[in-house]
Amino acid sequence: MTEGANTYQSPSQAEDAEVLLSVEHLSKKFCRNLKRSLFYAVRDIATELCGMRRAGGALRPEEFWALKDVSFQLRRGESLGLIGENGAGKSTLLRVISGLVKPDAGRVRVGGRVAPLISLGAGFNPVLSGRENVFVNMSILGLTNEQIKAKYDSVLDFAGIADAIDAPLKTYSSGMAARLGFACAIHTDPDLLLVDEVLAVGDIRFRAKCYRQLAKLRKAGTSLVLVSHSSTAILSICDSSIYLAKGGLVAAGATEEVMKQYEEDLTIADHETPPGELTLPERPPASGLQIKRLRFTDAAGQPLRTLVSGAPAQLHVFCYASEMLEDVSLNIIVNELAGENSRVLFVNSAKDGKRMRARRGELTLCFQMPYCGFKPGLYTMKIHVLDGAYYNALDAVESFVFKVASNGSMSQCAFYQPREWELRHDSALEEVANQELTTR
Amino acid sequence: MQSEIIYTPEGVLRHPVGLLREMRRDLLGSREIAWRLMRRDISAQYRQSFFGFAWAFLPPLAMGMAFTLANNAKLINIGETDLPYTFYVMFNTILWQTFVEALNAPVNAVTGAKPLLARINLPREAIVLAKLGEVCFNFAIKLVLVVALFAWFRIEVGWTTFLAPFALLILILFGTCLGLLLAPFGGLYEDILKGLPLATNLWLFLTPVIYPVPEGGGAFATIIRLNPVTPLLVTTRELATAADSVSEPVRFVAVSLLTLFGLGVAWVIYRLAMPFVVERVSS
Repeated sequence: MTEGANTYQSPSQAEDAEVLLSVEHLSKKFCRNLKRSLFYAVRDIATELCGMRRAGGALRPEEFWALKDVSFQLRRGESLGLIGENGAGKSTLLRVISGLVKPDAGRVRVGGRVAPLISLGAGFNPVLSGRENVFVNMSILGLTNEQIKAKYDSVLDFAGIADAIDAPLKTYSSGMAARLGFACAIHTDPDLLLVDEVLAVGDIRFRAKCYRQLAKLRKAGTSLVLVSHSSTAILSICDSSIYLAKGGLVAAGATEEVMKQYEEDLTIADHETPPGELTLPERPPASGLQIKRLRFTDAAGQPLRTLVSGAPAQLHVFCYASEMLEDVSLNIIVNELAGENSRVLFVNSAKDGKRMRARRGELTLCFQMPYCGFKPGLYTMKIHVLDGAYYNALDAVESFVFKVASNGSMSQCAFYQPREWELRHDSALEEVANQELTTR
Repeated sequence: MQSEIIYTPEGVLRHPVGLLREMRRDLLGSREIAWRLMRRDISAQYRQSFFGFAWAFLPPLAMGMAFTLANNAKLINIGETDLPYTFYVMFNTILWQTFVEALNAPVNAVTGAKPLLARINLPREAIVLAKLGEVCFNFAIKLVLVVALFAWFRIEVGWTTFLAPFALLILILFGTCLGLLLAPFGGLYEDILKGLPLATNLWLFLTPVIYPVPEGGGAFATIIRLNPVTPLLVTTRELATAADSVSEPVRFVAVSLLTLFGLGVAWVIYRLAMPFVVERVSS
């Protein structure tokens, strides 16, 4: 096996765990122009027929490298995450590994049965019933008749569409069809499972079932290559990951490190470091209160450009009230900017029991955080100032982007946990603790 | 542990022994998948159809009726045939149709299975075998009509009738061979799929299906005699109807050998070309 800057070998597994998948200096090119692409196909076929070698090295006009010099290894029982933007070459890599696409350079060695979950329900015919389609699909996935019969009940059980199983597939909703497809694919007992962004289908309960089944397969020793945009999925399932960008291998290693680099690249591409404050433009007053400016400050009141996980921070919302407001509340919603844009915070001063009354004139609403609980990354905040009695929004800021930096010990943490560590030799305390445990 | 599979950019022809081994492995591995696909397609086809299996033999019936009427009304001038003209047309049409179905089978298999090919790595022989299975199934239905024709027109049968299926097999294999050559390109260019019906319709008129084999010279007669389907069709009919002699034995044997050799070549070309087609199909 060649070693080089672009090669990743997992240090965690014992050296003698067999290598299930070996990708060596893999390159693949595609053509953008359809007509030209078809013409190149005919030329390539003719070249092969004459037994000549295809010139894999150079790009013909309008071709581009979908994958360039990618190398990595996967051992039995390991799971690998494939991270990258859309168009980075992740699906192409999976297609080469499953044998659908021939490499232009390099080599791929696969030992064992590969089950690609690239698109569910291959071979499904809408007119036939779900029951008949199970047989077709699993046969296409490589199982013999006896094997299918043995797993049949288990598949139907997993899909969980009991009543509809005898109805024609075209009456199924897309979710049901996807569940059936997934159930078939997951029961093929592969040595290597390739999952390409199909875990997004189905409701939450089904998705949880899928993840549980994947975990079961992993425990049984199946290797896994997962492509997903959900950082939670990759972080929880994959030991190691590789990061592809424009067909090249940018990073490889433990999942958290690679994920961090990916998210940095994603966000740096779109934003420079946000300034930590926002001044709203002059607007004609529409209601009793207008937000003029937003600013982060530290505990001492000094303006803060970037928040730090674990450090105290405050958000000052500078407003002007044109009339007296009996019951003012501040509503703050924070979403992650990267990944799946998930919501991380939804707080409201009125719900926390704080009544605030505003006189006419300039005022500042303060949101004080003793510790900034956010993990490092970029976030966007939505701020509403509400007229408490009627939940009437007096003014709002739709998007205020801010950055949270790490304090050095936030690796593998989803949030900042304020904490103290202590070791005690006090036996009296221990007895009390033991008593409490036994009486519970 | 299954044996290792290695994917390289190397041409498959560089390792001919490996290629032959792979071809055998894929062909054997295709059996079950082909059976399932065949069952799937036949069930789906007839499930949504009211007339069901009747569609398999309505075309020859219709064609036979039409041409008989035209001939009797002297609208067209067809020569004398040894067998009753209606029977002649219908039987020939059945054979011709089977040939056209066999020709179309690989092309339809590839274009129809594009979504499947793009997602799963299955032995590509399976889809062709499945479609050929359909052709045989359709012929089995047509056989009902054939038997009915034999009975209605009181055609004599002899021991040679039992040789007719072999000649028919060569006819089917010839169609398959041509279809296999066209199939990968049919997967790339729409022209093949559009052009095939046109080509086969023209070919129909260059084959003695609705008219007897012409004697004598002339350009048209020469084309008909050079047409490779002619000896296959003619021989099958002559064997089935226990004719006194087989009129074109030499050409028949020549085309048969060409078919058997060509089938192997076409299979290799099909295997070679398909990866380039598959990578251009979007999943």
